[in-house]
Amino acid sequence: MLLLGKIGMGVLGTVLVTGAVVSSEGFIHVKVNEKRRNGTHISLVVPAILAPVSLKFVPNRYLAPGAANVRPYLPVIDAALSGLADCPDGPLVEFTDANEQVSVVKSGGSAIVDVNDPNETVHVAVPLRAAQSTIDEIASAGGPI
Amino acid sequence: MKTILPVLAVLCMGTVAMAAPAERYLHVKVDDQMGHEHVRVNIPLSLAEKVIPAINQGQLRDGKIEIGHSHANGVDLKALLDAVKSAPDGVFVTVQEPGTDVRVAKLNGKMIVHVRDKGGKERVDVTVPWDVAQALASSGEQQLNVEAAIQALEKTGDTTLVTATDNHQTIRVWIDSRNTSD
Repeated sequence: MLLLGKIGMGVLGTVLVTGAVVSSEGFIHVKVNEKRRNGTHISLVVPAILAPVSLKFVPNRYLAPGAANVRPYLPVIDAALSGLADCPDGPLVEFTDANEQVSVVKSGGSAIVDVNDPNETVHVAVPLRAAQSTIDEIASAGGPI
Repeated sequence: MKTILPVLAVLCMGTVAMAAPAERYLHVKVDDQMGHEHVRVNIPLSLAEKVIPAINQGQLRDGKIEIGHSHANGVDLKALLDAVKSAPDGVFVTVQEPGTDVRVAKLNGKMIVHVRDKGGKERVDVTVPWDVAQALASSGEQQLNVEAAIQALEKTGDTTLVTATDNHQTIRVWIDSRNTSD
């Protein structure tokens, strides 16, 4: 009985630590709602750490073209992401016209993009730390940075 | 005890206020009445200060824009700035062009630029705190130091930098400590 309790505690501890690690970089949230009848409705909440971690298993030859494209802009991306992470929450860009509303907001360590047009609404929230790790992972595919 | 607590609270708040200066924002607001388009951009100056020096593209390098001996619409920017710098406060330097009048002055610690087209349909007013204008021109004759200008902007008070209007569009650029444009 005592052994069973110890195993239970071990499993619980492992689950808790795994949960903490998985959620450490926050969650990517993608939500798409098509406005037409029987349109697609998608809502995905994915632990953000999965993005850079899963890229580690992608062979370099698939990431190399992306790395070549990203590398020239890496200093700007790094500066922008670290600058965004440090600045207070708030709306960054808002665009509205007769048909469409687009907003980009920094909130709680995430960049949030919302689009509302006649066909669909899209909501994407990406933790900035995860974005940084993912881009670094892609850029490193072309060799040491 | 009752009197000490409020004093401590005020001291704590004062310390926090002194330790964390308010973020300054550069706002851009564009309203197009014809297309019913409205754009609001709120850029934290600390973000701009980090990103601008990292850009090395085209004429923008290391936080500076290479202007060389270029002229904007026939106006030698550097010469204009020098002329205004040496002019007494309030005296306008006027540049007459075929379709446009450009008037530049130094007034109350600010550089003021008025651009009017002859038809009276377009008007642009630019107000640049003098410290910012000087920071902009601090990298010699052939460069505009954008990074230094942003650093100088962070120290200036709330001010409208640019207003531009034509028949159907209004643009306003300003600085303040609010994170929204409205």
